[in-house]
Amino acid sequence: MITLTLKEQPSVPLEAEVLSPDVTAQLSTADIRALPVYLGKRQRRVDDFFEVDGGSSDQITIRGDASRVKWLGRAMTRGRIVVDGNAGMHLGAYMSGGTIEVSGNGSDWVGAEMSGGLIRIGGNAGGQIGAAYRGSSTGMRDGTILIGGSAGLEVGMRMKRGIIAVSGPVRDFAGLQMKGGTIVLGCGAELRTGAWMIRGTIISLGPVPLMPTFSYAATYVPGFLRIYSAYLSSLGITLPFDERRGAYRRYTGDTSVPGKGEILIWAPRGA
Amino acid sequence: MVYWGGNPAECHPRHFTKYSLTQKGRFVPLGRKGRTMVLVDIRETPSAKAADIFLQVRPGKDFEMATALRAIIKGHPVDSALVEETGLTVAQLQDLADRMKRAKFGVIFFGMGLSMTRGKHMNSGAILTLAAEMNAFTKFVCMPMRGHGNVTGADVVLRYTTGYPFGISLSRGFPRFNPGEFSTIDLLVRGDNDAALILGADPGATMPQPAIDHLSRIPTIVLDPKVTHTSRLARVHITTAPTGISAPGTVYRMDEVPLPLRPALPSPYPTDEDVIRRIRLAVAAKPAWEPPAHVTMAIG
Amino acid sequence: MLRITGGKVYDPANGVNGVVKDICIDNGRIVAPADGGSGADTSGAKAARTIDASGMLVFPGGVDVHTHVAGGALNFARGLVPENQRVARKFLHGKGRRAGLGGMTPTTFATGYLYAGMGWTTVNEAAVPILTAKHTHEELHDTPIVDKSCLLLMANNEMVLDLLEAGELERARHVVAWLIWAAKVYGVKAVNPGGVAAWKWGKNASALHESFEGYTTLTPAKIIAGLAQIVDQLQLPHPLHLHCNNLGIPGNVATTVETMKVLEGRRAHLAHLQFHAYGGDGWSNMHSEAAAVAEAFNQHSNLTCDAGAVLFGDAVTITADGPWQHLLYQLTGRKWGNLDVENETGCGIVPYVYKDRSLVNAVQWAVGLELMLLITDPWRVFLTTDHPNGGCFWRYPEIVQLLMDVEFRKAQVRRLPEVAQQRIVLADLDRQYSLYEIAIITSAGPARALGMANKGHLGVGADADVAIYPEKPNADGLLFSYPRYVLKDGEIVVEEGDVIGGSEGREFIVRPEYDGAIEDYIRPLFQQAYTMSFDNYPVSLERLRHPEQVNLSSKPE
Repeated sequence: MITLTLKEQPSVPLEAEVLSPDVTAQLSTADIRALPVYLGKRQRRVDDFFEVDGGSSDQITIRGDASRVKWLGRAMTRGRIVVDGNAGMHLGAYMSGGTIEVSGNGSDWVGAEMSGGLIRIGGNAGGQIGAAYRGSSTGMRDGTILIGGSAGLEVGMRMKRGIIAVSGPVRDFAGLQMKGGTIVLGCGAELRTGAWMIRGTIISLGPVPLMPTFSYAATYVPGFLRIYSAYLSSLGITLPFDERRGAYRRYTGDTSVPGKGEILIWAPRGA
Repeated sequence: MVYWGGNPAECHPRHFTKYSLTQKGRFVPLGRKGRTMVLVDIRETPSAKAADIFLQVRPGKDFEMATALRAIIKGHPVDSALVEETGLTVAQLQDLADRMKRAKFGVIFFGMGLSMTRGKHMNSGAILTLAAEMNAFTKFVCMPMRGHGNVTGADVVLRYTTGYPFGISLSRGFPRFNPGEFSTIDLLVRGDNDAALILGADPGATMPQPAIDHLSRIPTIVLDPKVTHTSRLARVHITTAPTGISAPGTVYRMDEVPLPLRPALPSPYPTDEDVIRRIRLAVAAKPAWEPPAHVTMAIG
Repeated sequence: MLRITGGKVYDPANGVNGVVKDICIDNGRIVAPADGGSGADTSGAKAARTIDASGMLVFPGGVDVHTHVAGGALNFARGLVPENQRVARKFLHGKGRRAGLGGMTPTTFATGYLYAGMGWTTVNEAAVPILTAKHTHEELHDTPIVDKSCLLLMANNEMVLDLLEAGELERARHVVAWLIWAAKVYGVKAVNPGGVAAWKWGKNASALHESFEGYTTLTPAKIIAGLAQIVDQLQLPHPLHLHCNNLGIPGNVATTVETMKVLEGRRAHLAHLQFHAYGGDGWSNMHSEAAAVAEAFNQHSNLTCDAGAVLFGDAVTITADGPWQHLLYQLTGRKWGNLDVENETGCGIVPYVYKDRSLVNAVQWAVGLELMLLITDPWRVFLTTDHPNGGCFWRYPEIVQLLMDVEFRKAQVRRLPEVAQQRIVLADLDRQYSLYEIAIITSAGPARALGMANKGHLGVGADADVAIYPEKPNADGLLFSYPRYVLKDGEIVVEEGDVIGGSEGREFIVRPEYDGAIEDYIRPLFQQAYTMSFDNYPVSLERLRHPEQVNLSSKPE
């Protein structure tokens, strides 16, 4: 186990892609302390900003408000990062395996273009969760992202596979240009959910204003939901599927593309 | 011609007469009478007087309207009630789509009413995609109505030197692009920078208060012909000669056509270019700061 | 004085084929050895630096006769593909080195470093609109080390087309000459003649001998013949550079062969011939017609061409051929950029991936190589990929390998889908290029076609642009990827693969002869049709920091 305790807040954002289990697994404490991090244009050492304990491990704990530390867990394939505090932008970008857990908040671009692994954020996150970087045709290709609080714009933009579940409110463009995969919205979302969707499923437990290029299809509880619900409850997410409690109104779209995506909005019985 | 989210009569005052609406063209010999002009905006501006059709879209509904049009031109279904939330009916959109398809050469000019309102780049993206898809039916093009000054020129030069139009970081020794991370307002609001050099802009007048407060806290340098709002909160203000009036150069028109600027009046002040060169030479004379010999990982 | 000693010199323009000899350089030019070649340093006057090139190959610097590296179209493409830039080769800012990005649409500084880093020292930007020529020159100026030239788009210029339709060839000649000088360029480019003008109507010009939208009697063939005649009369050093009609379309072999007939009696250079050598009548039965095109080409000794070869992998298609690019957009459903240049031309951009599993792409890959192997005279066919349309210029070494190593080439053919193998003839071709021939198609030949007498060779008086390569290919089998040294104007600019120096390079331009009174003809038409002041239209000479100007006189028939 490697423990990194933030001892100095960076004056400008710190880029620390070296803080990844794949890198630290083979390195001694001294080597980890000497790894390069980037404070703006200056190259500094990890131990300029962190107290470092332990080495030669793919289990990393980061303590402190690291909301200005970017690229933690970049492209990781294994191991575990636990952030006891906040994490900065690009957390777990390009990751393909392993786990990241953040007790506090994340920022923008969590799990961008990831292809496997699990990211869990207890607090809020920013925008572009599991999304494609600008210009790229595809976002998240697989994996799981769980956000306990709220999230920002373009959640799951151009994602192809995998699951993103946000318990709190979500802003505009959730599922923008989605190609596949699943987004679960615990509290609904603001505008333009599912805009320009090609394929994929958006499940919302709260109200979701719809684009005019979506149309109502049916009200029911889809068969796959039971399976999803079982899987998600193992991750701490509750998806209702009891027909006595309610059902999902299903909308299909986006006809402008044209796409075969679906938005399922939970309608409790008696509501 | 569709003007969407812009008020050319007031913001681009020569546009109609010199470039678009009233000019007699070789293949549009009747000039104005040979054209149909549609104005799409949230309120009736003076530009509406020049329009054949004014479509009043509700604020914040441009993206929905453009997306609905994308479906309608393809003959795909849209939800009438949801379309009507845009302030327009399906019939109105269908009529617009039909007119667009009947044109021999269609153009959409879109303005900051789209690019600066909720949706931002996706509003622009919606119009651009609509115009691209219209080419399945007839010749159609699309153009942004850009802001004042040489914003287009800055975009062009940044693209050919760095590969990106804006929102660029060179901190790792090579160009990186990420709007929202490296774009100006976001950087300033989060306080991600510890110095600022402002040239040809006045963020102290236009930006959100947290951005202005941050500029006041850090060393800020302003180059401008006038003492601006930003100058008043800066550490250093250097008065420079106004470009195009006293300083020569090249400006890029909105359609990226480069035009020479020949100074008309002398100025006692140095040009922006002079000042930047002198700053650069002074920085180069300082002890060398070597960038890292290699990039540790393929960051970005 | 600098001496390169002990290397095997390949200088086809002077008949030198792998001879170990010294190359002496002074004041940026190749000079005769003062010692008569004996190796003894008798100069005394200046300290000589010697490069020991023992065991290495010494080539004249590469000359790229057709590439897209600067200007509005390329810059539009840069903006369209940030995702390519993100994974492109990174050039770090450093002492004497500017930051930049490589990839398919390199930034200006990176373009110079990439070319020089491969041993290429002269680059011909193949497509410039007059209206935005100032932009092209700005970018070329920012492209370090290499010397540059550029070609002016003319075959869809409405002022010129009007004159050609009216049969006013002499006046057209003066207008073309005036436009060349106004734009400060080196030669004339014709792209899809008539087609880009028709694209302003959403149409194309697919039939060589039929008129097109906006015109009544003018045909693509007449434009081609008219412009070829004008270029010859103006005695431009480089012939009319032609991107034929129907690029990329199955069955276009007929158009290409017919175009060669139209050009009989004239000089011409056929651009990226690979894209114009297809048989079949649809995508499902498209096949190679490289043999037919090569046969016709071999018989027309007035023509040169460049290969426009395809390499599997990522590319970005950028051409002035608006209608073709729209078609590609509809086929791929990917991104598309389109620009119309008022009264003059246009451009289209579609990022594209060539896949070896795709039948069409497999045929395209084979056709470029087949042309280079079936065209018999290496002085008439040059190595290009129509960068970045068929592939990136920094992958030219891969094509060299395919040309020089028949076993390797045949192994690549066997990897293609069975059906594709039946549509090409590449497996049957045993020819292997020698180093001498490679030096011709990458340097001596293009230099001669461009009419640049001091480029592409290592004889006395030549510009000292020299590339020194290791004798053996690297681990990937590539010979030209990592030169040991590259010299530009006698200065070492690349050493062991690292760019270490270099100046801004020069721009070659021509001043054709024309009657000054032609401005009285152009001015009123311009004021009527354009949206800028006539005085702002020409590029002032001061914008070119290092012009290399050739003054011409005309030879009217």
